[in-house]
Amino acid sequence: MSTDTWIVVGGQPGIANLVEAARSLDASVTAAVVGPRSLADSVAASGVDRVVWFGEDREAPVEAYATSVAAEVAAAEPRVLLGGRHPAERVLLGAVAASLRAVVLTGAQSVSIEGADVVVVQAVFGGIAEQTVAVTGPLALVLDGGAVPPLCDPVPVEEVDAAPMAMTVIENRPSEFEVIDLAAAPRVVCVGRGLKAEKDLTLIESLAGAAKAEVACSRPLAEGLSWLGKDRYVGSSGQHIAPELYIAVGISGQLQHMAGVRDAVTIVAINSDPEAPIFAEADYGLVGDLYTLVPAITDALS
Amino acid sequence: MRVAVAYKWTSDPQEASVGTEGSIDWSRAKAGLSQYDPVAIELARRLADETGGEVVGVTAGAAAAGSPIACKTALSRGVDRLVVVTDDSLGGAGTTAVAEVLAAAVRHIGDVDLVVTGDSSMDIGAKMVPTVLAGLLGWPAVADVTAVTSGGGGVHVEREAPGGVEVLEITGSAVVAATADAAVPRVPGMRDLLAAGKKPVEHLQLSDLGLPDASSQVTVRASSRPDTKVRKGQMIDAADPEAAAGELVSALRLSGAL
Repeated sequence: MSTDTWIVVGGQPGIANLVEAARSLDASVTAAVVGPRSLADSVAASGVDRVVWFGEDREAPVEAYATSVAAEVAAAEPRVLLGGRHPAERVLLGAVAASLRAVVLTGAQSVSIEGADVVVVQAVFGGIAEQTVAVTGPLALVLDGGAVPPLCDPVPVEEVDAAPMAMTVIENRPSEFEVIDLAAAPRVVCVGRGLKAEKDLTLIESLAGAAKAEVACSRPLAEGLSWLGKDRYVGSSGQHIAPELYIAVGISGQLQHMAGVRDAVTIVAINSDPEAPIFAEADYGLVGDLYTLVPAITDALS
Repeated sequence: MRVAVAYKWTSDPQEASVGTEGSIDWSRAKAGLSQYDPVAIELARRLADETGGEVVGVTAGAAAAGSPIACKTALSRGVDRLVVVTDDSLGGAGTTAVAEVLAAAVRHIGDVDLVVTGDSSMDIGAKMVPTVLAGLLGWPAVADVTAVTSGGGGVHVEREAPGGVEVLEITGSAVVAATADAAVPRVPGMRDLLAAGKKPVEHLQLSDLGLPDASSQVTVRASSRPDTKVRKGQMIDAADPEAAAGELVSALRLSGAL
């Protein structure tokens, strides 16, 4: 095993957190990039030491390169592997982890090297507890990729021959929902099961409009009810956000939900149940009917 | 088509309690089929029915995973037969260790065309077992899959992509991880539960698959409760909604949140 760190990049450029975590380990950092040449060029200017690119094929999805990436990265025997949470990124990292029989951890809050150990502080079981663990390596970490890193002096892009697996993209269908970047929104109004009907979303949209906020939801509204797009769902297995202001409407505040928003600067909770756990994690709490409180707050803002 | 569905028998962290020093008490959490696994079973069942094939359930865990109730729960939801690998060392085993056992079990079943998994396990929730499993098998993997049908000499897989849905054609064996709402799972009736008791279950030990104990490569040095931000915790009396709204907005403006 070498002491090198590798970043696995799959199809999208939001890797600032990966580069930052890799750089903090004081070792050589190589990025393995699957995606268009423009992506490889942007990664080459992100602050890594080396970029290995697997070439372009318009029909092959990112995942088709999993075995090629696994072979290339495993041959370098890195100690630490980093990858993002997007589905294709997880597929690439999983293939590399399999080749190296690496330990896989997904809730890391910090990572450091202590002698022969890689030490990780991580949230476990959906964030109900934290552990400090030591791994002798190799270790694969799944992290939030973060933003597109700021540009710095580029390193050369080394192209390697790749043999994509037998999978092709045969169709693309646009979503009926508008694409949004919830993580970038400074203010978010998030609605949960307290909302009785889909048509009542207009109340929430009005509040969000008055507060210049983005609309988000808890899991049941995006998965199951499909009232809102999945990129608006906040929670442990959805979006993890840290807005300046988070207004939670009709959300009880279960652990899995709060794991997605615990880092918000200010949390406002509106819920009819005074015992709802969200009040324990809110800066401002209002116990009452959202159907009267939300329009009142919308008016007060306008 | 022979469709394997990998599932987990485990407990929900929502029902666990956490001590002041971060120790987790699972004693009040009831074991069950992991939350999203019924969705995977449903997808597998529909694909097997479409192609005139079978659904083989496969799991790896501590002894409880091989209990009659665990087996019946999986079998009553549309699985034809089970391959269950149990060992004490698999209780709480990590992603890669579990994936290694599942890969060996899939090879043991033989001629598997597709492995379907749920979105994530309800305990660890890493969303990585299916991708490591595919890596170990050398098969393609797709995550966040919303639909699977047969087609093009293999399968057509729909998955969520930024701004929409992408349809992929995969030739040869593959692993797919479904989204949490890819299908509405059937609710087993009394007849399904009775039939489940008669379906075959193959119980295996790690040695049957030529695998060593799943020794942990992770040493836990410390545990704690998560730091929660210190919040103001200011309750605003909402008896008069307009007054409450005014008070909230002033407070938010005063603190710079607005």
